[in-house]
Amino acid sequence: MNVKLRSAAFSAVACFVLGGLLAGCGSGGGSSTGDTGGTSGSSSTSGSTLQPGDQTPDPNKIKIGLVASINGDLKPWGMDSQNGALLAVDEINKAGGINGKQVQLLIEDSNSTPEQGKTAAERLISKGCVAVVGEVASGITAQIALAAQEKKIPVVAVGATKTELPGIGQHVFRVCYTDDLQGPVMATFAYEELGLRNVAIVTDNKQPYSTYLSKTFRDSFEKQGGKIVDEQFYESKQTQFGPLLTNLKAKNPDGLFLSGYFTEVGPIVRQAAEAGLNAKFLGGDGWDSAEILTSGGDAILGGFFCNHYNNQEDRPEVKTFLEKWQAAFGGVPGTTMGALGYDAVGVAIDGLKRASDVNSAESVLAAISETEGFAGVSGVITLKGSGGNPDKRALVVKLAKEGQVYEKAYEVSEVKR
Amino acid sequence: MKFFAVRAGSIALAVAACFALQSFAIGKGDLVFRLVFLAGLYVTLAVSLNLINGITGQFSIGHAAFYMVGAYGAGYTANNYAGSWGLKGPLLMLVLLLIGAVVAAVAGLVVGLPSLRLRGDYLAVVTLGFGEIIRIFVQNSPPLGGAYGLTVDAQFKFKYVWMVWLLAILCIAVCRNLLKTAHGLPFLAVREDEIASSAMGVNVTRVKVTAFVIGSAFAGAAGAMLANFDGFISPTSFPMELSFTILTMVVLGGTGSITGSALAGGVLFYIPEYLRDLKPVSGSSLVAAVIAVIAAVYVVKRIADHYHGDKGKRAALYLGTIIAGVVLQIILAAVFKNVPSLANANFEASKLRMVIFSSTLIILMLLRPQGVFAHHEFSWSWIQRLLGKKVPTTAVSV
Amino acid sequence: MDLGVSLWAAFELSTLPQQVVNGLLLGAIYALIALGYTMVYGVLRLINFAHGEVFMLGAYTALFASWFLGYGKGSSLETSGPLNLMILLIASMCVCGIVGVAIERFAYRPMRSQPRIAALITAIGVSLLIQYGGALVLPIAPPPSINEKVNPYRGVVTMNLVGGDPQLLEGYEKAKIEFETTEKAWTEARASKQPDDVVRALRDKKNDADRTMGDLQRRMDNSGVKIRIPQGQLIMFGTTIVLMIMLTYLVMFTAVGRAMRAVSHDFDSASLMGINVGKIVTITFLIGSMLAGAGAMMNATFLGTPLTTFFGVMPGVKAFVAAVLGGIGNIPGAVLGGFLMGIAETAVIWAGYGQYKDAIAFIVLIVVLLFRPGGLLGSAKVEKV
Repeated sequence: MNVKLRSAAFSAVACFVLGGLLAGCGSGGGSSTGDTGGTSGSSSTSGSTLQPGDQTPDPNKIKIGLVASINGDLKPWGMDSQNGALLAVDEINKAGGINGKQVQLLIEDSNSTPEQGKTAAERLISKGCVAVVGEVASGITAQIALAAQEKKIPVVAVGATKTELPGIGQHVFRVCYTDDLQGPVMATFAYEELGLRNVAIVTDNKQPYSTYLSKTFRDSFEKQGGKIVDEQFYESKQTQFGPLLTNLKAKNPDGLFLSGYFTEVGPIVRQAAEAGLNAKFLGGDGWDSAEILTSGGDAILGGFFCNHYNNQEDRPEVKTFLEKWQAAFGGVPGTTMGALGYDAVGVAIDGLKRASDVNSAESVLAAISETEGFAGVSGVITLKGSGGNPDKRALVVKLAKEGQVYEKAYEVSEVKR
Repeated sequence: MKFFAVRAGSIALAVAACFALQSFAIGKGDLVFRLVFLAGLYVTLAVSLNLINGITGQFSIGHAAFYMVGAYGAGYTANNYAGSWGLKGPLLMLVLLLIGAVVAAVAGLVVGLPSLRLRGDYLAVVTLGFGEIIRIFVQNSPPLGGAYGLTVDAQFKFKYVWMVWLLAILCIAVCRNLLKTAHGLPFLAVREDEIASSAMGVNVTRVKVTAFVIGSAFAGAAGAMLANFDGFISPTSFPMELSFTILTMVVLGGTGSITGSALAGGVLFYIPEYLRDLKPVSGSSLVAAVIAVIAAVYVVKRIADHYHGDKGKRAALYLGTIIAGVVLQIILAAVFKNVPSLANANFEASKLRMVIFSSTLIILMLLRPQGVFAHHEFSWSWIQRLLGKKVPTTAVSV
Repeated sequence: MDLGVSLWAAFELSTLPQQVVNGLLLGAIYALIALGYTMVYGVLRLINFAHGEVFMLGAYTALFASWFLGYGKGSSLETSGPLNLMILLIASMCVCGIVGVAIERFAYRPMRSQPRIAALITAIGVSLLIQYGGALVLPIAPPPSINEKVNPYRGVVTMNLVGGDPQLLEGYEKAKIEFETTEKAWTEARASKQPDDVVRALRDKKNDADRTMGDLQRRMDNSGVKIRIPQGQLIMFGTTIVLMIMLTYLVMFTAVGRAMRAVSHDFDSASLMGINVGKIVTITFLIGSMLAGAGAMMNATFLGTPLTTFFGVMPGVKAFVAAVLGGIGNIPGAVLGGFLMGIAETAVIWAGYGQYKDAIAFIVLIVVLLFRPGGLLGSAKVEKV
């Protein structure tokens, strides 16, 4: 009996330790055991001057919610979307807010999974957000859209490029172009500008983004008269691509369309060069990152991909955005989600400015759906009568030693679907 | 007669409690409703895995796969066939739930069969592999939505918290009754010693397969609820880590303890959600807290291992250690404030929450390896015994 | 499409030798990581779930070492020498060794007298802690990768098994000249802002020439049967083999190895026989983690993989499966399992079912375990969880 008593007391103590620690942390004390070297390298987070700030809903402020992948696989993209959003909110608040009212950005983590993304969205809605911004992936966005559906809260997606999303055009909008545009743009570019006829596709089978992009590229390229000689698959986080590259090489393609993210495209291209695969490399906006030049090495130079904007572009929106980013976080955005997160919050704020009642999600929704000619970093965004999809132009850029070089711009009407 | 009265009474009570929970959750808004719903699912998952891992002693680390199979089975059926059945509301949900359970039970049978020959870690890796195989199959299957996911038709979106919790209670009841009756003895025998139990005439094969089938059927039913609640399921919703999380719930609650896994299922689901409300933490207090926690854990561990005095003194020592830890944290935080590189670094709660979750796991395992409840079950007599009364034990003692 | 037809049509026999080599290269890295799993398991009967995270930290160490040496992003340094590569390797092995020993000392040792499943949960906890805690302090957004210039071995070793077609070379030279002329014409036309249709016509001409040239070049390369091995991957393979031989020697022919085998055989008796069990466990973790460090450094340096804190998860799981396939706790088994996994995955890709490769790796595992419940080289023992 004594044994049982002891163990019961023990569990009580263990729970108490835990509870105390959690409570201590909640009151700003902080608690957690760090890992090896938790003290040394905090520079990666402290380098930025913009922080998410107080997350307690403030009744005097207009609340915009952001669902971001702050933990998990999509963190590199999620953090960029968060930083972009912070930048946009900071900008409007410094300019005096909306009709004198400050904007508060409430951020919730989706942990890169759709299920937690939905919980995050519902938390934001319950905190009184009049608009929800997010996510960088289509699956999580679908859940956010479903969470916001009943209350008709407007959702502005950051990087959900899948064509069909629940409620798209009704209460869901996006600032990125869809795969329906990106794939055909690259197919047209490959067929006309590069004169490619036999192209092979490499798809990241784990990412819906990649599978849809591959499909739209294939459809468009075949319609134009080109031939897709082979399609090979890999999954995110794979590191060795020798076997699939050997397969591709035997099919004699003159171009390779890599629809995945830069995290795998870099190594694939590097290893393709080693495998003696002499072809032109093409891809989508998943390539957009300065890091692709390091991971891809010399082999990736001369590759083409479809992007929303170009770092070296002359437009004032791009220039001020990059300057502000440099000031707030140092460097340039790591992925394209920085600019898209900035634009998504920008569209929401633009809607708020025009809304008759900033505290009613309904009027904000109406205002956002009327967005016309919003000058974003990633292009001019018009949501009015577009079914939620902005008809933005798409750029094709070339990778060179100094970064991305503008190659050609496609308006929506020019693209052969 | 009294037996049936008690049974009927508890069943009625359970059903009433579930409906009360439903109306409570609806009144609290969508978020609370969702959390209560998901908590019920996790309780079901944890208790059903406990049947396989804790009670029968089969080491399965692929429980999320059965959850996924049930979800996709129910979701696919709802989208493609349920429209023509003419059923509505709870009844339709019940049918879908049974479909999820049956599909997952078949999957459990498929995994259970090789488990006849495999033991321990070899079985573990097969269950893990099964999870991956299912995920890859779904990912490459266009009718199931591929890598993007499957949208379940909005007309089949059911929000019945009472049903989830009834399922959880049913799962707990099945496990409890198994343990309380002679039917459960073979399961425990297989867990304790496979060879000895087969020598005693236990049909080891049947026991293992039964455990897998029942356990996975409940997980599948939970999956069916999820599919029809969320309206959207995708392979990324059922990652390998989810299996580990469920396993953690079972072990942390106390392997074999139904009470333990049920509570741990709810609590471990809630901790990361609770941690969302943390405020940003400065680097100085974070480092101070790390040191304080390590020190406190070390001392508590020492006391637990080496001090065998009476329980009052022990409790006082623990309390003292905790207070000392808090004081240490405050002092260190004040000291570290003078280090600019630490004081200026800010860590947002959103980034910390998974770190705190995993640290909690390690600390709990270090301090209480047998799980919070060990092999104990909640019962009134247990409470009475705890308070020092002599009560005849009725449960099968383990 | 008829499945049977497509299955057979997919086999490219000319690429078979290259694919076998690919499979071995892929398997080498699995084997190297699997050794760490198997050694720890052999001694402690613990699946060290944090092994993949040690691997990840090793890759980060190599990254930091390369930054320290001046090969950061956009570095203007030219290709380095073998010395720098050795520094990366040693740094990463040392850090991994220390981390591995620390994990054992602070997380696993207090659990030693506890049920194995409790130790397993602790291992999962440690693994999660390193993944998420590491994300707080390590650079992960965007995922950095090691500058390829730090690696002086970027060439390719080519072996000609069957000679190519010499006639193609002649055509290639001609096509190259044609391409250069047309490209020049097009560039000039574009620069001098000639009418659109003229530029377009010249562009198409250039593209046609480019296509012919590329086609000839590839046909030249594809004619005959060749094996190409990137030098980096060859080094990776060679190092793996050398490390494995050294490890086998250590385990089979030295006093430490004998002690290790004794501890693995019977923990308690070994300690009664005067073996310092604690020390042996520490050494086991040290060696296993150092091997992971070597694998991580080579993986990150030669393959150019961008690093996140989840970098170790997939290799970790694959290597774990390889270790079980070979019979966990058995050193030659881990190597065999690693190579088998590599070959099996490559075979699936070769047959044109790349999207199912991971699933098939697991199916192979399950089938093998059905016939050999203790893995290929292991023996099935009755044990309790």
